[in-house]
Amino acid sequence: MVDDNELARLRTLRVPVPNPQAKIGALHAAMTAFDEAQEENSPVPQGSAEPQRLTSRAAKLWREIMQKKLVATPAIAGLIALPIAGYTALYLLDQQNFNFGGDRTIAETSADKPEANAPVSTSKPAKTEPAGKMEVEQSPDLDETLVAPAAPPLPKAESSAASGQAQDALTREVAPAPMAMEAAPNGVRSRDLAKTRLFVQPSVSVLPAPIDTMPPQAENRDRIEDFRTNPVHSAKDDPVSTFSIDVDTASYSFVRRSLKEGSLPQPDTVRVEEMVNYFPYDWKGPGSAETPFNSTVTVMPAPWNAQHKLMHVAIKGYDLQPATQPKANLVFLIDVSGSMNEPDKLPLLKSAFRLLVSKLKPDDTISIVTYAGDAGTVLEPTKVAEKDKILGAIDSLQPGGSTAGEAGIKQAYRLAEKSFVKDGVNRVMLATDGDFNVGQTDDGDLKRLVEQERKTGVYLSVFGFGRGNLNDRMMQTIAQNGNGTAAYIDTLQEAEKVLVEDAASTIFPIAKDVKIQVEFNPQKVSEYRLIGYETRALSREDFNNDRVDAGDIGSGHSVTAIYEITPKGAPSQINDLRYGEASTDNGGVANADEYAFVKIRYKLPNEETSKLITTPVTGANEVSSFDAAGTDQRFSVAVAAFGQKLRDEDATATFGFDRIEQIAAAARGADPFGYRSEFLSLVRLASALERNR
Amino acid sequence: MMAMMLDESDASDSELVGRARDGDREAFGRLVERHYDFVHRVAWRWCGRKADAEDIAQDVCVRLGRSIRDYRGSGAFTTWLYAMTLNAARDHARKSMRESAKTEAYGVHALISGETPEEPDDQAEALWAAVRRLPDKQRGAVLLVYGEGLSHAAAAEAMAISETTVSWHIHEAKKRLKVLMRTAGDE
Repeated sequence: MVDDNELARLRTLRVPVPNPQAKIGALHAAMTAFDEAQEENSPVPQGSAEPQRLTSRAAKLWREIMQKKLVATPAIAGLIALPIAGYTALYLLDQQNFNFGGDRTIAETSADKPEANAPVSTSKPAKTEPAGKMEVEQSPDLDETLVAPAAPPLPKAESSAASGQAQDALTREVAPAPMAMEAAPNGVRSRDLAKTRLFVQPSVSVLPAPIDTMPPQAENRDRIEDFRTNPVHSAKDDPVSTFSIDVDTASYSFVRRSLKEGSLPQPDTVRVEEMVNYFPYDWKGPGSAETPFNSTVTVMPAPWNAQHKLMHVAIKGYDLQPATQPKANLVFLIDVSGSMNEPDKLPLLKSAFRLLVSKLKPDDTISIVTYAGDAGTVLEPTKVAEKDKILGAIDSLQPGGSTAGEAGIKQAYRLAEKSFVKDGVNRVMLATDGDFNVGQTDDGDLKRLVEQERKTGVYLSVFGFGRGNLNDRMMQTIAQNGNGTAAYIDTLQEAEKVLVEDAASTIFPIAKDVKIQVEFNPQKVSEYRLIGYETRALSREDFNNDRVDAGDIGSGHSVTAIYEITPKGAPSQINDLRYGEASTDNGGVANADEYAFVKIRYKLPNEETSKLITTPVTGANEVSSFDAAGTDQRFSVAVAAFGQKLRDEDATATFGFDRIEQIAAAARGADPFGYRSEFLSLVRLASALERNR
Repeated sequence: MMAMMLDESDASDSELVGRARDGDREAFGRLVERHYDFVHRVAWRWCGRKADAEDIAQDVCVRLGRSIRDYRGSGAFTTWLYAMTLNAARDHARKSMRESAKTEAYGVHALISGETPEEPDDQAEALWAAVRRLPDKQRGAVLLVYGEGLSHAAAAEAMAISETTVSWHIHEAKKRLKVLMRTAGDE
């Protein structure tokens, strides 16, 4: 036995003082959790759910905090962090002898975690490093300046979390400051990945996930919005369906990556329309650029429900001939923050943009802006004729620093305006792994900026790289508001597809604000359901309102929307109303032969007034059996089925992966780039994963 | 630390808890701020590693944020905090066990692999190392009774077990500690 006297010594052991950053981080986390609980305040089930992925939690907390901008937590956050940040800024102003700027060095705050110093510690300028070498450097000067102030060195993420405003001020006053305050993500990452704090971004940290009192909310790794599947509508009560076109493809890349890594994607985050639209289809296109696109409507039996039909709306954009392509003025806005220092991020990005440059014409213009600790112009507007110069600039990109999204995006817009091509394409192409850490971090502010620039004719596309940190929601928001596309690039193959094969459609818009409105004829259709496009739904009245922004179609883009309809007479899921019903005898057409009336509204790229294309859907559009539908139609339906399956939707619950595989295999067609074969392998993967679940 | 300046107010814990339960952010913030060091200390005593202690403390903060509205405790707020911290610490250990499959979270190895304490107090240190190798309940009981100086009754409340069970855990722990200390000495 050990006696009480001995055990009493247990009290004497000194407990180390908690790390102030950890404390600040923890307090923020507490406030966020408090606020989230406030929002929910719903009955609390007992027991603990699946352990969460930490990165998502960090990201979520992070986003929440940034959205709230901490205005509401002045007591804790502001008061602690403002003086520290302010003091550091002053200190840095006094100590300008260190070597910032082009070197792209990273300051590592070693005070916190001594074992974090894995990377080589030299103060060589980066220029002497071989291009492309991914090495993190440490500037001893910097380190000291950081450690020296009475205030403990704040890891960047924390300090900005703590004081959006303070950090903002810093960014403006002393450009280098945010970089100095960077917490060397590389160094952190190189450690045993288990130990980093929640707020030291980007990193993987370990927090006990199960919560005794409250199960964690279902969350996903990256910041991908989840949403509910479109409900079934009764054609009598609600005959009109309105949505914006979506030509993004990011969701498919996510799904692919997830499956290839051996896990089914989180159901709520799969955007079926983006999966369907990932594939090039050979829909019949229009004859001239005057009518920018052509729509083909096919009605066919639904393969997953014999009682139902599918109404397949296929839109093909006019394919501009290279000779008639307008001049392009592109600004690459490239995230070179420390978190980009992974093989599937910056190096992939470099290769991707090299591919794109090879695709451009000599008198197109390219500029490059990087953003990290401070935003910098790497390449002033340069004609593609000077290709070597451009490629050299791309090669010279080095990861390092935090992400000053705001300064970067503003700089990019400045350059775009500087070399503005009238009647040409002016586009900022943002490549990021999802962080907009410093300054303009609120998605709303960013959205407004992008919107405003869109009106001056500078569009924006977003390319996501890497995983774990990706802010899909931000990507979607700004691409949708910037008249651009959001694509997720996970492999060089994907880069090839997005930036080379689809370069024309990615870069050259042929129509903007494209909206679709379908009115169903209750005499032929009792119910309908739009497959996908949940995040693109518009109100009925938005259709004719030219001020409402919608998706864009690029040169040669194909867009597909599929409705599942219950023909009149088939058993329906919704009961008829007992009292009253909408009627068509108010001057409308009561044409028993039409399934629906499809209206498409669009604007030409340089116009502000919309035009309308209408197509009645009649028996002539119908094919008697599914197999009689075109190859591409069948393939797109297979993809739609797969997407719904991954979303775990009721409609396809009894429809097996094997059936999807059959349909897709039979509809593979020429498949010159192997996209469809790849799809087949994904279906098989998902099928296997499902079985093992 | 500047943060301490915020803590001038002498609103009692129960007052702050009451306000936080009604959704008062500021009161909640003050409450967490005030007790962070406490939570950290308990977490550190439990696991003996700085990084883990901070993780645990942060987790407790998050749990507090989520569940403060459900707190109906009649006793001291700290009792609830003890319970929550010990739970979080156990979950954390379980999780890192799963993830690393290393034993380093336990026992003496932790001290070697973790950062060295600022002022090594060999005996107390070795004793804590042994305590950390006890089964969870015994570890918790020893921590509360000897580390934190709680009475058996108070520890019982925090652990949600009866007082006699606490005494029994302590008794078992003492036996076990003797063995552990002897083997540790041999090493």
